[in-house]
Amino acid sequence: MEVSKRYGGALAVDALDLDVRRGEIYAFLGKNGAGKTTTIRMLLGLIRPTGGHVEVLGKRVGPGTTDVFARVGYLVETATAYPNLTVRENLDIQRRLMGAPRAAVAEAIELMRLGENADRRAGVLSLGYKQRLALARALLHRPELLILDEPANGLDPAGIVEIRELLRSLTSERGVTVFMSSHILAEVAHLADRIGIVDKGRLLEEIDRAELRARERGHVRVGVSDPERAAGILADAGFAHVELADGHLRVFDAEERVSEIARVIVGAGIALTELAPAHEDLESYFLRVTGGVE
Amino acid sequence: MFAKALATEFLKLRRSKVTWFSLIALSLGPLGIALFMWIVREPGRAAQLGLLGTKANLAGLEATWPSYFSMLTLVVGIGGMLMLAFIVAFVFGREYADGTAKNLLALPVGRVWFVLAKLVVAALWWLVLVAVVLVEALVIGRVVGLPGFSAGVALGGAGNALLAAGVAYLLAPVVAWITTLGRGYLPPLGFALAMLALGNLFAKTGWALWFPWSIVPLSIGMVGKPVQTLPLGSFVVVALTFLTGIVATVLQMRYADNTQ
Repeated sequence: MEVSKRYGGALAVDALDLDVRRGEIYAFLGKNGAGKTTTIRMLLGLIRPTGGHVEVLGKRVGPGTTDVFARVGYLVETATAYPNLTVRENLDIQRRLMGAPRAAVAEAIELMRLGENADRRAGVLSLGYKQRLALARALLHRPELLILDEPANGLDPAGIVEIRELLRSLTSERGVTVFMSSHILAEVAHLADRIGIVDKGRLLEEIDRAELRARERGHVRVGVSDPERAAGILADAGFAHVELADGHLRVFDAEERVSEIARVIVGAGIALTELAPAHEDLESYFLRVTGGVE
Repeated sequence: MFAKALATEFLKLRRSKVTWFSLIALSLGPLGIALFMWIVREPGRAAQLGLLGTKANLAGLEATWPSYFSMLTLVVGIGGMLMLAFIVAFVFGREYADGTAKNLLALPVGRVWFVLAKLVVAALWWLVLVAVVLVEALVIGRVVGLPGFSAGVALGGAGNALLAAGVAYLLAPVVAWITTLGRGYLPPLGFALAMLALGNLFAKTGWALWFPWSIVPLSIGMVGKPVQTLPLGSFVVVALTFLTGIVATVLQMRYADNTQ
């Protein structure tokens, strides 16, 4: 599937083409406004693509799509519920619409640890508990596919770990497929089987977990008196990937050529103040791929 | 699917204060009318209590059951158009105000069923209000001791009031459409007020027979014409307004982007 969404003149999602495999956790990673929520809305038929189409569980999604959604659980952006109804009543509404058995409500309450708040009105819940209610709503009917937009929103650190473990157990024990969005790389780096990095509506990279590890790329950090001239000289000397960062140079794919870097720079009459191999962490990798901090 | 949607729509009204507010507001109608009737019958005592202001124009008002019922018809007809706008704005608009509209769209239950279920909930809500107010009106009328009561007068009066309530309901789906279009409470309420004003304006012109919001006051004899003299065309206009409102709401729910 390839899909686009244009709002007036703004292209929110630009010819996005991705596939999620059954049983995997796919994290859709991007900064705010990258097009994550727009994509999720198109997956659910909440908005219509202006180009292309989406398929969910093998069925093309359109405005009249219903049947396939019995097998999908979802949470889009802010967690919402009927404020005058209790947690249990809110879930009961979902249960009826999904045609799930009565026991499903108690099970979802248990799963999301909502027991103490089950008979409180949703309107008085804290942000974290509203999020738990929304997740319970998504899980209640034991869906095959979970589409979750920023599932860790509003949760405390313990809650985030809990959701991570829950999602992992759902995929391993029930074979559930998870498509989730996030703007925090650390949150998905240890959870997702594959990560799609999206920016300005385009899919920039799609990598699996093993590859992500490999891409915690090593580089050589170089301190010099004239970084700009040194960058030019290194490039001329055949170092393909040189970056200027906070007054230093980063030379990628050059761990084996440290002495060569020193020779070239010193030979050009530039003072060398620092020369050290370094590793790029996941966060800066993400920032580099998506074009840095704005 | 419709039954599922309908059941959940009723559940959503649980602990809702709005239902009680609407009942209190409408039940003030018979009380107000009865107060006028009492003032007409006992101007002396009313004046003593300061209830008969110099500006009060009660000329032509008879303190009788038929006159009481015709005013009641006005309350459920004209007041009903506003009250129904309020009810429909709540039933549809709350999904946008509470941010739950998106939760209705990707379900095994089609969107059309929610539109129809919500309209049925509004209809039943309205019917209960009218029924309660009619019973209340009968009790108050007896307490005030209006002359001219008979079973025929009561049945005829109640029948007219129900008819007015029914005709007013036919205009509700358009308000539902405005609610889904405007995604909130204010657009439908503003729309209803504007239509009420326009209906009043056109009521004195030749367009009245063709403008839905004028046809309601005409049909209940507010502008002097009894229901029997309305041309068939007027009823066709109201029926088309009803159907158009439903179709427009369904199409809006089905095809409009939800970016909430």
